[in-house]
Amino acid sequence: MTMTTTMQEGDALPEVRKLVDQARIHRYAEASGDFNPIHIDREFAATTQFGDTIAHGMMVAATISEMMTAAFGENWLRTGKMKIRFRSPVKPGQRVTAQGNLRRIIEDGDATRVVCAVSVVADDGQTAISGTAEVAV
Amino acid sequence: MVSDYDALTAGQELCRRAYTLDEPFVAAYVAAVEDQSGALTGDSGEPLVPAMAVAALSIQGVIQELRIPGGTLHAGQEFEFLSAVPVGWSLECVATLAQHSTRGGWRFLVIDCEVTGNDSEPVMTGKSTIMIPATLGPREMAQ
Repeated sequence: MTMTTTMQEGDALPEVRKLVDQARIHRYAEASGDFNPIHIDREFAATTQFGDTIAHGMMVAATISEMMTAAFGENWLRTGKMKIRFRSPVKPGQRVTAQGNLRRIIEDGDATRVVCAVSVVADDGQTAISGTAEVAV
Repeated sequence: MVSDYDALTAGQELCRRAYTLDEPFVAAYVAAVEDQSGALTGDSGEPLVPAMAVAALSIQGVIQELRIPGGTLHAGQEFEFLSAVPVGWSLECVATLAQHSTRGGWRFLVIDCEVTGNDSEPVMTGKSTIMIPATLGPREMAQ
């Protein structure tokens, strides 16, 4: 069930939790065509400032889109907007949680837009992604 | 293929590619991100593609055309989804360099992407900010 009929400012979005592991990162590399060694080559990644491979930012960001789809259904696919910054890397073995809440509900004639603060937080407390997502309902 | 990052100029078209969002691609994408939001269907019952699958495809051409070197970081991303995309649709993705600057040992590229669907109507626009090491050593170039 989507949130569109019951939402109020301040409401929390349904959280999405994922385990990020190297197998998943490899699957995402195959699906997306992004084979940057920072994601898939542990020997190379060990020589970088991260010391290990990191998940693709877009793979982690997909948890936000999943959360918005769960909350707003097809409206997200037709009218969604997202603006995010990748703030810290997610490494294999970490669990991440996409979370958000409704910041503003904007009535504009017949249209209503919902603006949400969104983030992805890793289990070490680091914010991996933060930003806003907006959708017409 | 881009071979000289210094020669990149704002306004330059980086790539124009066509893709088909067929079932194998969508299945592989959903498996990779472990999307559990459930399959949405369009007005005629056709299965719809997760929004971020379209986004992932839009960036694929840029990654390949720029031969993104090892150590490149994705700093920021904006998307606007304009239409739901059914499985099986063909898309055209056009990527244009919007900004190019260098500071603090990094090359910052801001890339605009526009994706059109079967009917040539826009289905998504995006803006990616990526950071490439300004000085590439043999380690990065070998990747």
